Amino acid sequence: MNQRRGQFTGVVCANIPLCREHFKLVMEVRGFPPTKAGQFVQLLCRSTRDLDYVERELEWPSPQRPEVENVDLIAPTALLRRPFSLAGATTDGETATIEVIHRVVGVGTDWLVQLRTGDEVGILGPLGNTFSHPVENQIAILVGGGVGIPPMLYLASELVGKKVIAFCGATTRDLLSLTVTADARTPGIDSIEPLYNIQEFAAHGIPAVISTDDGSYGFRGFVTQSLQEYLDRFRIRGEMAVIYTCGPEVMMKRVADLARARQIPCQVAVERAMACGMGTCQSCCIRVKKPDASAVPLPGQDWCYRLACTDGPVFAGEELLW
Amino acid sequence: MIDLSVHLAGLKLANPTMTCSGTCGYAFEYGDFMDLSQLGAFVTKSVTREERPGNPPARIVETRGGMLNAIGLANVGLKRFLDEKVPQLEKMPCPIVVNVAGHSYDDYVETVAAMNPIACVGSVELNVSCPNVKDGLTFGTNPGRLKELVHEVKKVLPAKPLMVKLSPNVDDVAVTARAAIEGGADVLTLVNTFTAMSIDIHRRRPRLANVTGGLSGPAIKPIAIHMVSRVYRQVAKAAGVPIVGMGGVQTWQDAAEFILAGASAVAIGTALFVDPAAPNKICEGLGEWVSKQGAEKLSDLVGTVQMPGD
Repeated sequence: MNQRRGQFTGVVCANIPLCREHFKLVMEVRGFPPTKAGQFVQLLCRSTRDLDYVERELEWPSPQRPEVENVDLIAPTALLRRPFSLAGATTDGETATIEVIHRVVGVGTDWLVQLRTGDEVGILGPLGNTFSHPVENQIAILVGGGVGIPPMLYLASELVGKKVIAFCGATTRDLLSLTVTADARTPGIDSIEPLYNIQEFAAHGIPAVISTDDGSYGFRGFVTQSLQEYLDRFRIRGEMAVIYTCGPEVMMKRVADLARARQIPCQVAVERAMACGMGTCQSCCIRVKKPDASAVPLPGQDWCYRLACTDGPVFAGEELLW
Repeated sequence: MIDLSVHLAGLKLANPTMTCSGTCGYAFEYGDFMDLSQLGAFVTKSVTREERPGNPPARIVETRGGMLNAIGLANVGLKRFLDEKVPQLEKMPCPIVVNVAGHSYDDYVETVAAMNPIACVGSVELNVSCPNVKDGLTFGTNPGRLKELVHEVKKVLPAKPLMVKLSPNVDDVAVTARAAIEGGADVLTLVNTFTAMSIDIHRRRPRLANVTGGLSGPAIKPIAIHMVSRVYRQVAKAAGVPIVGMGGVQTWQDAAEFILAGASAVAIGTALFVDPAAPNKICEGLGEWVSKQGAEKLSDLVGTVQMPGD
């Protein structure tokens, strides 16, 4: 098995709509190294032929060929790659099957939606660090919001047999990228009871509490509200639990605050605009506290920037200054 | 066998592909993704005398065919560069160019002087044209100050060729090119990024925290080609000063265009983010192109675009 990260070509196995605007893209990648939850890939959101630089004859049916050049700028294309956290991965011999969940927000993700089974995708990775697993008897609390749910799914698959509860939130049911099991009991709008009603988590024996802002499914309110109620009701504090979170920044900040107030360790997978993903462009910076102000970098200053791509994307909640 | 080698005022490159400062880290960041031994030369991220945290985010935004960045010269500073990065650079399998930036004459002189005795450093590139720091542009846009700066810096770098990276944000790049050569520049590198801006129309705010940034990528290539061509014909050719051309190089076809315009070597920047192996592919493509042109050496094709009236 290849251990080295690099550039790979994935072949699309499936590109399935999960809910409004969200798609699950499954790709087979020969020689892709082993990965872990928290890591991400940089996807080329345009044809891999763009990277061949081979001079091509225009395909034209008539014998008289048109005199056109530089056709590439006619349609807008995503120049840079786009980072996606892994939603899952399995390996079978030399071939890895990796999953990402993407939401259509621009020209890059719009291109991804058009992909069909058998199409090729340029992949660079795997990149970034990973979540640290809970220690013996520690309850793992997975908190995902919107497009932050995918790394929680991958983490769930790694924590089979451990004590795990998932809290997931979306604006509304239409935007919840999870599958409600057909015969599931519908949770009440004020219920924080963990249920085995979400297929993706139930498959790993993990119960979930779902929140929607408008109450169209599960708890009515933010995922941070259901989480807070749960932590308080069951008096969860300190090292008895570990919270993992990924989602909108305002949500992750709140989750980190809830954890800090209760001395619960918290691991946050941040999202940042990124060009390279490899620590060279320095664009995905995030402010963190320095434990010792006299230490490098920037002695005399009590904070510094870290890069989401190589220092993260997973950071300890208590060190993040955002 | 096609000869792709390049001589940049004493710095010998096996081929004309270089990296653009600020797009390739300090040393081995791309080691897993490209064959560093096949690079003509590696150009480090800018080093300043003091360590700099850089600008607050958002630092980049993609625009049509381009990338706008305002990193703000985030770097480890001279001391940590010498302690932590030089030992890495010593292991690099290709020639090294260290990019140096600063705020004052003293800043530049002290940092460049520190590079002079380092054996693995083949050359220093002077960044006088970063558009994202408050007073960084004044050296690059004022011919008098530029000439004086290059002159001062050249004094402390007797052992190595000095490259000067020119700003495109001037009325006539040939004027600053001449000033740099008069100051003692051994090689000109052009162009740096273009000062530009992008607006979020929904929030009615600039999309970069720094408001403006430097535009790079394929969108700027035709302007860069023009500037290389102008500098080559107006100044550099007669002075015998080689040019490193850059600005939107993604493919060997782009590189060939820069060579014809007058560049002896080309540097690849934004394209590295998309395809870190781009320099290796460009090198391959250039070899075939040179042979199709009926030439034996790439250097025979430098500046050979035929203009009306030539």
